[in-house]
Amino acid sequence: LKWNAYHMVVTSISHHKMEEAKEEEVSSSAVGLSLCDSVPLLWRMEDIKKFRSMGLVGSLVGALPRAPRQNGRMGRPLLLLPEEERLLSEKQAAARAEGVEELRQKVEQYEAHLQQSYEEQSALALEDRKAAMLRAMTSSNTRETIDLMSSEDAWKHRLETLDQNFSFPQSAMAVQLSTARAGLTYYPQDRAFLQADWPTRQRDGPRCDARYRVFRDLKGRGFYLTSAGKFGGDFLVYPGDPLRFHAHFIAVCLDLEESMCLLDVLAVARLGSNVKKTVLLCSSVKDGTVVYTSLQWSGMA
Amino acid sequence: MGFSAEGKRYLLPEEALYLMECGSLQVFYEDLALSIQDAYEIFLSSETVSLHQYQVFGHLKRLGYVVHRFDPSSLPSRYAQQLNLPQSGKNAGNQLKRKHDVSLTSTSAPSLSKTLVPTTDTMSADEHMKDESVDESVAMTSSESTADESSTTDSAVMVEPRKWWTSDIIEDKGSNHRNCSRSGWDFSSILFPDLGSKENLSGSLASPDPSLLPGALAVGVCDVASWRSKINQRKVKGSPEHRRRGVDNQRQGWHGKKDEEVQSCKNWTEFNDLMARHQHRRQDEQAEHLWNREVTPLHDPSQPLPTRELLDICSVIKPTCLLEGASRLKPAHEWRISFVVYQPDTASEFKKSKPRKPYTHVCVCGFDGPVPELQTVKLLTSQSGDVPVVFAVVDHGDVSFYTMKDFELPTDVFL
Repeated sequence: LKWNAYHMVVTSISHHKMEEAKEEEVSSSAVGLSLCDSVPLLWRMEDIKKFRSMGLVGSLVGALPRAPRQNGRMGRPLLLLPEEERLLSEKQAAARAEGVEELRQKVEQYEAHLQQSYEEQSALALEDRKAAMLRAMTSSNTRETIDLMSSEDAWKHRLETLDQNFSFPQSAMAVQLSTARAGLTYYPQDRAFLQADWPTRQRDGPRCDARYRVFRDLKGRGFYLTSAGKFGGDFLVYPGDPLRFHAHFIAVCLDLEESMCLLDVLAVARLGSNVKKTVLLCSSVKDGTVVYTSLQWSGMA
Repeated sequence: MGFSAEGKRYLLPEEALYLMECGSLQVFYEDLALSIQDAYEIFLSSETVSLHQYQVFGHLKRLGYVVHRFDPSSLPSRYAQQLNLPQSGKNAGNQLKRKHDVSLTSTSAPSLSKTLVPTTDTMSADEHMKDESVDESVAMTSSESTADESSTTDSAVMVEPRKWWTSDIIEDKGSNHRNCSRSGWDFSSILFPDLGSKENLSGSLASPDPSLLPGALAVGVCDVASWRSKINQRKVKGSPEHRRRGVDNQRQGWHGKKDEEVQSCKNWTEFNDLMARHQHRRQDEQAEHLWNREVTPLHDPSQPLPTRELLDICSVIKPTCLLEGASRLKPAHEWRISFVVYQPDTASEFKKSKPRKPYTHVCVCGFDGPVPELQTVKLLTSQSGDVPVVFAVVDHGDVSFYTMKDFELPTDVFL
């Protein structure tokens, strides 16, 4: 599975390299966040790419449009960790992604889009039909030796009538269901006007602060972090992009003064060694630095 | 998916969103086709369906399960559960119809919890029974105070009036420790109404503990003044017949003391314990000194018992079952079952008109929230009946499923 993922990443990264130059001028603008049930989500491709290029991962939670009935690979939206959201807002790199148009304007836009899509599809359908006819003609020509001149005339005539009479039924039109909302933020030049005004939403409890300090510190050291609920820790720490690397560490955030039961230490260390990861006990000190203690099974019999 | 009401088909928000994500549904709002982002923001909120709940719903749907919203009224009420009422087929059909109605209203208020309210018929019947109970308890106390010495008949009378309670208590009369644990009655808190004694001058009985009453039944303070005027409160000297019996009992050597003890009993538990102790004492006269101390032997060796039961007696710390005492718990609002899950089509023949027994009931929570307490687990388990409860824990896109199961340690019996 990892190998597969690696393959995918290589292609997407080369893709990314090409687009980097294009994105250069856009990169000054912020990532457009939107809230759903008070949880921050990313919807636009550009936003997600930018977010990823900042070394942040998040997690995709939507169904993949082309393969909606599986849980292995997910699609947009991208769900942010609370720490990721806070980091963005602290860096002034987050903006509220909201369209400002009137509903009527939106409806007009939508109808224009539908009309355009209909025209495109009907042109494509006509070409498709013509190609099919041509194929039929050439194949019949090879099989039967008919009078070439007369048959060509007949075919030409038939193509012309097709051109005139062809109508693409409205009901046959494929409808696109857009993932992200179309609106102001759709156009890259408008995105530059987005204000990085995402407020720091206060979360209660010192635990959130401790988690955030650890997150920021590890992020600053170039690690990629995802949540580690399935390993019983706070964060999974990757040395590079999670699609290319396995996690090396399980970070457990603790207060420096907090005493920890020896059995808990053993349990978490044992779990870490079983999944071939090192457990990090992370505590932030008063001046903002973070102290790390690694636990490893010595393996001595 | 969906339900019909008033001749129209409706979709619940999570169902509509799931179909949109599958690319099978387009939702219009004021002539504008909603994007999936719009749908997330409009359909999902903490008042209707939370994002966590939708993540679990989507996860299970993508795996192919049939997922419905959990409707509390589809289960028998706590009162019906306590009475162990069988569910008739006709009733089940009614429930399905009702379920549709509820799901219609629950689009606006999903936290709506409907409990089966007892009909007026059963309510009046209950009240009638209450009256009888007062009647009988009065009769009981009067016989106690008048027939001073006939304690054997006393005991019979005392157990008798409980017929109007749940029937399983009568069955379990022999094994007290069991009936305590299984029924919702806490005998240590039910006191004898002592109407005959002169000290009781209040003239009225306090209303019973509401937790012992079914559903919405309210029983007020019972005025016993009229009863007291009817019963004979004079101390009875006793007929020769009575006296002779008393002498007989005295000859058995334990009655006189017992009578005092009976009067010192405050509730059913103490009385039952007393009866049990005397039973033992009668059987084993020689070792009487062992039984009248505070610490009594666990078992009378003259009484043959199978090894298994003996082991049960010896296990001084009794195992409790997960459901024990669950019926007395008050429903909590922060924890509730969200979804009913049926197996995918291949594994079971699911029909909308006739759903079989669900595969699981799912309760949604997050890793950042608290762990469910034992009380919560008990409550949800008792609510869901014989269908297992699964806790779906959402952790930023990952969904993990956990169950808490009742586990009984195996006991090895060597003969």
